[in-house]
Amino acid sequence: MPAYHSSYNDDPSVRQVGNTAILPISTKVRGPAPIASDPSQPDIIEEALDLFRANCLFRNFEIKGPADRLLIYLILFISECLTKLAPTPGRPSPGYQEATKVLQTLAVDSFALPGDAGFPLNSLYHAPGSRPDADALRSYLTQTRTELALRLADRLYPPEQTMGPDGQPTGQTGARAAKPSKWWMSFQKRRFMGRSLGSA
Amino acid sequence: MSRQAPLVIDNGTGYTKMGFAGNSEPSFVFPTVIATHQTAGAGGGGRAPPPVAGKPSHLASKRGIEDLDFYIGDEAVVNSKTYDLHYPIKHGQIENWDHMERFWEQSIFKYLRAEPEDHYVLLTEPPLNPPENRENTAEIMFESFNVQGLYIAVQAVLALAASWTSSKVAERTLTGVVIDSGDGVTHTIPVAEGYVIGSSIKHVPIAGRDITSFVQQLLRDRGDSASIPPEDSMRVAEKIKEDYTYVCQDIVKEFKKYDADPYKYFARFSGEHSVTGRKYDIDVGYERFLAPEIFFNPEIYSSDFLTPLPEVVDTVIQTSPIDVRRGLYKNIVLSGGSTMFKDFGKRLQRDVKNIVDGRIAGSETRSGSLMKSSGVEVNVISHKRQRYAVWYGGSLMASTPEFFNVSHSRVDYEEYGPSLVRRFSVFGSSS
Repeated sequence: MPAYHSSYNDDPSVRQVGNTAILPISTKVRGPAPIASDPSQPDIIEEALDLFRANCLFRNFEIKGPADRLLIYLILFISECLTKLAPTPGRPSPGYQEATKVLQTLAVDSFALPGDAGFPLNSLYHAPGSRPDADALRSYLTQTRTELALRLADRLYPPEQTMGPDGQPTGQTGARAAKPSKWWMSFQKRRFMGRSLGSA
Repeated sequence: MSRQAPLVIDNGTGYTKMGFAGNSEPSFVFPTVIATHQTAGAGGGGRAPPPVAGKPSHLASKRGIEDLDFYIGDEAVVNSKTYDLHYPIKHGQIENWDHMERFWEQSIFKYLRAEPEDHYVLLTEPPLNPPENRENTAEIMFESFNVQGLYIAVQAVLALAASWTSSKVAERTLTGVVIDSGDGVTHTIPVAEGYVIGSSIKHVPIAGRDITSFVQQLLRDRGDSASIPPEDSMRVAEKIKEDYTYVCQDIVKEFKKYDADPYKYFARFSGEHSVTGRKYDIDVGYERFLAPEIFFNPEIYSSDFLTPLPEVVDTVIQTSPIDVRRGLYKNIVLSGGSTMFKDFGKRLQRDVKNIVDGRIAGSETRSGSLMKSSGVEVNVISHKRQRYAVWYGGSLMASTPEFFNVSHSRVDYEEYGPSLVRRFSVFGSSS
């Protein structure tokens, strides 16, 4: 059982820029992305968040379609987010509010597109064909990154369950955790496919 | 004449299991290690240095006695500060006969407390053991210990025999694939009617020790190892491996289960510092199912060995003679401590079955959908005696009356000499 693939690979109707899929997402962030028809269905962002921990463990990944390329990109972006939030000597991990801000900044920060010199996976991605295509891809990725950062923060700082007097969870949820969940942060050092977006 | 129960001794690379035939568990399990003083162990011509003049010479320093001064097993480990440890078995095969002879001597006299001249002995050997090794073994057993009779059995065959205890086994056959996973290496050994198919044996360099170190690695990544005293780190990882892990059916689904109901799945391990007695707690999380996952996805642990165990099993069977393949798929038997994970057999069976079904479907389409396969039965057998399967199989076989007929007796040895053990007869397949 090798690494997990995107379930959107076989959808032929999806628009592509270069050879990366532009999949619909459900979001409130403004941007050019197609809006998912049914917001209750998981979209590619949800998929990336679900597959992140499993796929992170793998070093090899066979790309089976354009949606896989988007998936790889998002997974690598999650890694980058975690690195950003990791505690460094003298600076502990930020709280939820702070973390949301940090991630938002990171999401809209300038980043390399496929074809640019700083992009780590140029051997696997085609560059966008034209200038307008590149702009479209950039704004699509910015929007997706922003939405992903929002949802990731939600998962990283889960509301803590309030404990009953018997030490069992009462089912009610209290305030958000003060530190990012260690169950996620432990994957920060793992490199999916041995790559990272930041300093590769 | 009533016979004493045969001795069953399974000398593995890591551990020696020994006891009496007819028992369901070995009486002694300890590391296959011998502790000697350096001078005594230096080959045949080793001589103690002359006693220093002026120093009162005590008994042990006199020549001829120092070779009695040794310990084996756990006692050897305890005395490792003042003695040198030697592991007489490497990769399943005996490397140092002098040490092995002394190891056997203490095993029989000090631990089993048996008179070897009154007992038959069943020893085990790895597959592809050269006949010279068998001769050496026979020489030691008959000439040093004067045993009544000797049978040297192949470990994989005994593991097959041990699986007869499982309720899933309908017929007692000696055809099957044995997956033997201990601490160091995992072997997949095909056996047809009691004979090992040597050319198809495959080794997987992933076993118990790797799982332990993967658990350690996960704990370290998470920062939980900070609360574990460094000298206990290995032991704690081992404990977590033994007590908390299981094999899951799908990693992503398993991650989701942990998200949905953290209190059911995350566990807590409480330990105590081995020196200071300070108590500590650590969380046990994803390693519960990720640890045994390295058998099925070696990629997540090692970078040089990437073939999943189910694929190895399939290759082993596919390279075996075509007329036994069906029998091999039907009887995949687990043996050794590292196959004890919950649902290990279930997952292996599912994965092997998937590979087989995929291939069958492929050839059906290639035939133009004209041919239909009747399907191949895939069975992975786990049973209660898995941990000491080899020893248990030996105990089972040595307690049958037939055992005394197929063993080589002392009388035969005196007649023919050590070359006797080059020939051996398989038994048990027809009973």
